[in-house]
Amino acid sequence: MQNSSRLALYHYWVAFAVFLPAVVLGAWQMLIRSPLPAPLDDPDAYYASVTLHGTAMAYVVTTFFAMGFGYAVTATSLGRPVRGVAAAWICFVICLIGTLMAVAAVLAGHASVLYTFYPPLLASSWYYGGAFLLIGGSMIWVVLMIYNMTSWKRDNPGQPVPLAMFAITATAILWAWAASGVLVELVGILLPRSLGLTTEIDAGLARTLFSVTLHAIVYFWLMPAYIAFYTLLPQAAGGRLYSDTMGRLTFIMFIIFSVPVGMHHLFADPEHGAGMKFLQSFLTFFVALPTLLTVFSICASLEIAGRARGGRGLLGWIPALPWGEPMVLATGLSLVMLGLGGFGGLINMGYAMNSMIHNTSWVTAHFHMIFGGAVVIMYFAIAYEMWPRITGKPLQSKALARWQLWLWFAGMMIASIPWHITGLMGQPRRVAAFDYSDPFVARMGPLVIISVIGGAILLVSAILLIVILVRSQLGERRLEAPLRYALAVNPPKTVPAALNGFALWNAILLVLMVFAYGYPIGQFFILKSKVPAYEVSGPTNSAGGR
Amino acid sequence: MARDQGAFRLHNPWPKIAWGMVALLVVVSTVLGFGVLSRYQQNGPTLDLWNAICRGLGLSADTAPAKEPVPALRTPTRIAWTSNTLDQIAAGDAQRGAFIAMNCIACHGQGGVSTSTLIPTLAGMDPAVIYKQLDDYRSGKRLWGVMGAIGKVVSAQDSADVAAYFAVQSHGLPPLRGYRLPESGRSLREPDPAKRLVYAGDPQRGIPPCSACHGPGGYKLGAPALQGQHADYIERQLAAFAQGIRQNDIFEQMRMIAKQLTPDEMHAVAAFYGARGGAPSAAGVAVR
Repeated sequence: MQNSSRLALYHYWVAFAVFLPAVVLGAWQMLIRSPLPAPLDDPDAYYASVTLHGTAMAYVVTTFFAMGFGYAVTATSLGRPVRGVAAAWICFVICLIGTLMAVAAVLAGHASVLYTFYPPLLASSWYYGGAFLLIGGSMIWVVLMIYNMTSWKRDNPGQPVPLAMFAITATAILWAWAASGVLVELVGILLPRSLGLTTEIDAGLARTLFSVTLHAIVYFWLMPAYIAFYTLLPQAAGGRLYSDTMGRLTFIMFIIFSVPVGMHHLFADPEHGAGMKFLQSFLTFFVALPTLLTVFSICASLEIAGRARGGRGLLGWIPALPWGEPMVLATGLSLVMLGLGGFGGLINMGYAMNSMIHNTSWVTAHFHMIFGGAVVIMYFAIAYEMWPRITGKPLQSKALARWQLWLWFAGMMIASIPWHITGLMGQPRRVAAFDYSDPFVARMGPLVIISVIGGAILLVSAILLIVILVRSQLGERRLEAPLRYALAVNPPKTVPAALNGFALWNAILLVLMVFAYGYPIGQFFILKSKVPAYEVSGPTNSAGGR
Repeated sequence: MARDQGAFRLHNPWPKIAWGMVALLVVVSTVLGFGVLSRYQQNGPTLDLWNAICRGLGLSADTAPAKEPVPALRTPTRIAWTSNTLDQIAAGDAQRGAFIAMNCIACHGQGGVSTSTLIPTLAGMDPAVIYKQLDDYRSGKRLWGVMGAIGKVVSAQDSADVAAYFAVQSHGLPPLRGYRLPESGRSLREPDPAKRLVYAGDPQRGIPPCSACHGPGGYKLGAPALQGQHADYIERQLAAFAQGIRQNDIFEQMRMIAKQLTPDEMHAVAAFYGARGGAPSAAGVAVR
């Protein structure tokens, strides 16, 4: 058990150690885009910074956090140590080496291709190699999660897998499906080209493969937050989970509907026909289902808790909730951001409406609201919940944690609402400098300045987070109650086989993937769509690439 | 895990319902995507089902890879001053040229001495200049209705011959040799703008002195000597260069210069050459 805890703790530390500098970069990027004077006002630095910020937040923080969370959940929900600890440490080291390689390449200015690295942009092979080690290495974690769940099932025949374990395994399976796209892209297209083994690059195929990853990865980020909603929140609020079955269904639906839908990121791309685009747009709408189910289920669970604490009347249960608990507060704030961001997402995925906001700041604002807001705030809450239990050292002050959460919420709202508006006004994303003397751009100036203020608040909150965690770490060891997961109102005695494993759902997803991606990917083996690469890397790579 | 094998047995309710819903989803989205959305077009006729499916898959008649548009090669002239060209010009037969010149005198005047101020005097002009302009007309590098048509019917040999003929005619442009630069008026501080531009140019605007190529004093192969030429004709050509209507100057030299001249300066420079050429024979032109 001790080893499992240390495993989780190391992963959390890497995640949050990368998180803080990435927030600093984000705040600086906000500043350089604005009409205000910024230190180091250099477009090249901006694109390197966007790459680093995106790579750190999208791959490093999330992967390490999810892996650490997975080990912690495995140990605590199954009530026994993680099996395959040696493999887990090997996985940790591989991912860490990958991270360092990628970061070094970006800092050297050889990889300013942004975290989506859309070819024909071409970075140094160190960057792609690093990304491959990080993402590929995390597949060891995927195998470990599945192995831990199946071995528990073998030892406990007929027993329902605990919801938390079921959900984290779902997360691992989702991540395996999601990562398949980018891994194939890296191995098949980007690494060979950056190593000089090929001369041209199939940009359309690469973008299509990345789209397999691009939407599902968002749900991989989201899953720890949802697991907290279902298994930690009701306990923290002093109530029970409304429905265990609904939780299982939610996670199953996430697996099925978050992967064969990525083409809604390519609505403006020429390499696919309208029919395929619509088809995936149509499937995308079904990812709203598990989210709506969750919102319902969580509200119901909170109502149970509120009424158990003496809340009366139609809405009286809301003030009766323990809002002082970081987990409850974070959930409330998270749901607000999830709601706003979710409605924005419906516009992004609509085949026709997408063209209003495609490649504008709206998109950046949207995923900051959803991921940077709704998801990351739950990461904080999970850290506050789990840290003391792993280390045995409680938080020094819950008030400080509440401040931190409120600041993060306020900062994200202040940053991303004006950001959405500038997107609607037509401000493109991923642009280092705007000419604010142009009357078309000038009217966006005040809104961008408000976003900068939001970015500064976010930075303060991120620093506060590290302060809180370090203070807890430095504090004295006191015995903390072990982590307990929420019980359902009707705890499951038995569940149908379909809700206790993933074989059926993997089979269904495979069929859907062939349906949704078979032709779009297959066509590239007939079409000749290769183009020369555009190298952004320095002399080391171009020497090898020619 | 054993019971998970039921995933593929349809009598189990969960697999049955799940597979059924997925099948429904596949059918509905396919029908909508390929049967409905791809068929109706805002600005075109409704497609039949087969074409709609092809369109939905992204297959259309023009799916070839996009090509970079290559702009047409534009050169100001076809003439290069190679020894072959110069030999051909030097070998021009003035006697044969006199016969061809019968076509020119209606406009350019008897013996190439033009009486119209908008038509250049050819008598005494350097044969290389005439040869180059005729070739530019022939290849469409210089556009002027009548001359374009004439250029197309005269051969390169005809051009050399007729150029040799006009070069030796008298009473036209003054002879080039022995014409010296005046001692005065070669300073940038020269108050007369025409004199200043002709002899000193305007370095601030990157304008070299006109006289460096067009005389008096300096002459360049292919550049006409301007003394004694009709002022109205010179002014019109400057305007044509300035507006980019005339484009047969190598390296865009004349276009760059003329673009920066004011209308008054064009007028003054043209008048300077028209009158200045005057010395011995311009008077004769004026009389005629």
